Amino acid sequence: MDRISALIDGELDERQAREEFSRIKQNDELRERWDTFHLIRDTMRGECHLSTRLGVRLSESLAQEPTVLAPHRNAAKHARTYVLSIAASVAAVGVVAWVALSTNPFNPPGNMPQQVAKGPVPAAIPVSTVHPPVVVVPNLPSGGNMNEYLLAHQEFSPSTAIQGVVPYIRTVSTDQPLQNR
Amino acid sequence: MRRAAVWPFVVLGLAATNVPLASGDDTHGGVALLTKMVGASHHFNYSGTFVYQHGLRSQTSRIVHYVNSAGGEFEKLETLDGPAREVIRNNDQLTCYLPDTRTVIIEQRDTRQLPLLLPERMGGITENYIVQKARTDRVAGYECDVIALEPKDKLRYGRDFCIETRSGLPLRSRIINERNEAVESFAFTQLTIGGKFNRDKVKSKFAARSRNWRIDRSALNVMETPAVSGWVLGSQLPGFRKLTEVKRSIAGHAGTVSHIVYSDGLAAVSVFIEAMPKQRPAQKLVHQGAVNIYTRMRDDYMVTVLGEAPAATVMQIANSLQLKSDPAAPR
Repeated sequence: MDRISALIDGELDERQAREEFSRIKQNDELRERWDTFHLIRDTMRGECHLSTRLGVRLSESLAQEPTVLAPHRNAAKHARTYVLSIAASVAAVGVVAWVALSTNPFNPPGNMPQQVAKGPVPAAIPVSTVHPPVVVVPNLPSGGNMNEYLLAHQEFSPSTAIQGVVPYIRTVSTDQPLQNR
Repeated sequence: MRRAAVWPFVVLGLAATNVPLASGDDTHGGVALLTKMVGASHHFNYSGTFVYQHGLRSQTSRIVHYVNSAGGEFEKLETLDGPAREVIRNNDQLTCYLPDTRTVIIEQRDTRQLPLLLPERMGGITENYIVQKARTDRVAGYECDVIALEPKDKLRYGRDFCIETRSGLPLRSRIINERNEAVESFAFTQLTIGGKFNRDKVKSKFAARSRNWRIDRSALNVMETPAVSGWVLGSQLPGFRKLTEVKRSIAGHAGTVSHIVYSDGLAAVSVFIEAMPKQRPAQKLVHQGAVNIYTRMRDDYMVTVLGEAPAATVMQIANSLQLKSDPAAPR
């Protein structure tokens, strides 16, 4: 069981949650996963604005930073952790930026990395090409109307991002869809 | 340690200043408020009662939204009139409880596959709509700013949002047709902003009773590569771009369904393509509030197109769909 997911899903009790928080605080790898999780989530919600060159610019500025050759002291150790955590963040940003770019068609084409635009067209998955055998569809829960499609659509609609679960009232509304006039 | 964890957010916050915004103070102010609204909807705890109105019909529901200390998001919507219905969001899982038919519908979404939906990330908004901060109003006892989005052509509906001045929460949203009539509106009549996270308040009251109800699952297939259905639009619809394409299952439907989503930044239109059911259904156009739904047959497939867009737009997308390449053909 992924304890970070469990923590975010609220499946841990207060004591377990406190333990998990302190584990995350002490473990760089866990913290990186935590950060990545939140980065992806925030990006999905559009709360972070990613510049395509952000990773590059950060790497460049990190490269230009003088290497500390002084003997290890506590302060130096801190600095190292600090830089590592930046590097970890940059890696996370890279992943998120790629996800963002490869899924965001509203990005101007000029900003689109070429490998995304010109990537090989993946072959169709054979399973999907086999016409499914005709199965008698069980009674639809909503009495055979369009609510299942509405539900499926809603997840992708910007209105869900804007208003959360509120527009789902359309899908569970007891009104039947009306014939267009 | 704490500072290190905060770092990515600081870095990303700085990057935000690089995002170009449309010119014009009004537009800029409007887009900034839309951005604030999206953030507020996810970050604030709130609970309240809202009315969903479409045509002459209305339905009153209660909604609770909580964020726990780990950033997890929980929502519960329950209808207050008519048959009882509940929709529960627990982060990436959405569950609908329909007690009258003793059915539970579970929709698991895969955040890795979800496209970026948000207005401020999309040039689409200012490309396709005139965004204006119109006036102030009062909804559910709160002062709010009205942001109007007027469509630049007839392919899309207009919108307006009334955004609570302090928190940024949307108190009212309306979808408006070309005759300037609201085809649909959501408005809070009572709202409490804040409150402490309480898991019990976002649990379904049917959770225990529904154990032996029928469970329908919808799911997206998790695939490393984007699904390519072979279906394309013969003529592109101005302002609409393909947002995503997946193979999925749909609750109550046999077989795999191709699901393609087009969006102009604010409205989305979904295309579902599946094998022709045994009983060939009739071609039809229906609507649920602002969502128009058009079903047509194309060769051996049933195509269902729906979205919060005018009927003509939905039909135009359905009619211009073509099977470009047979997905069964070896490559």
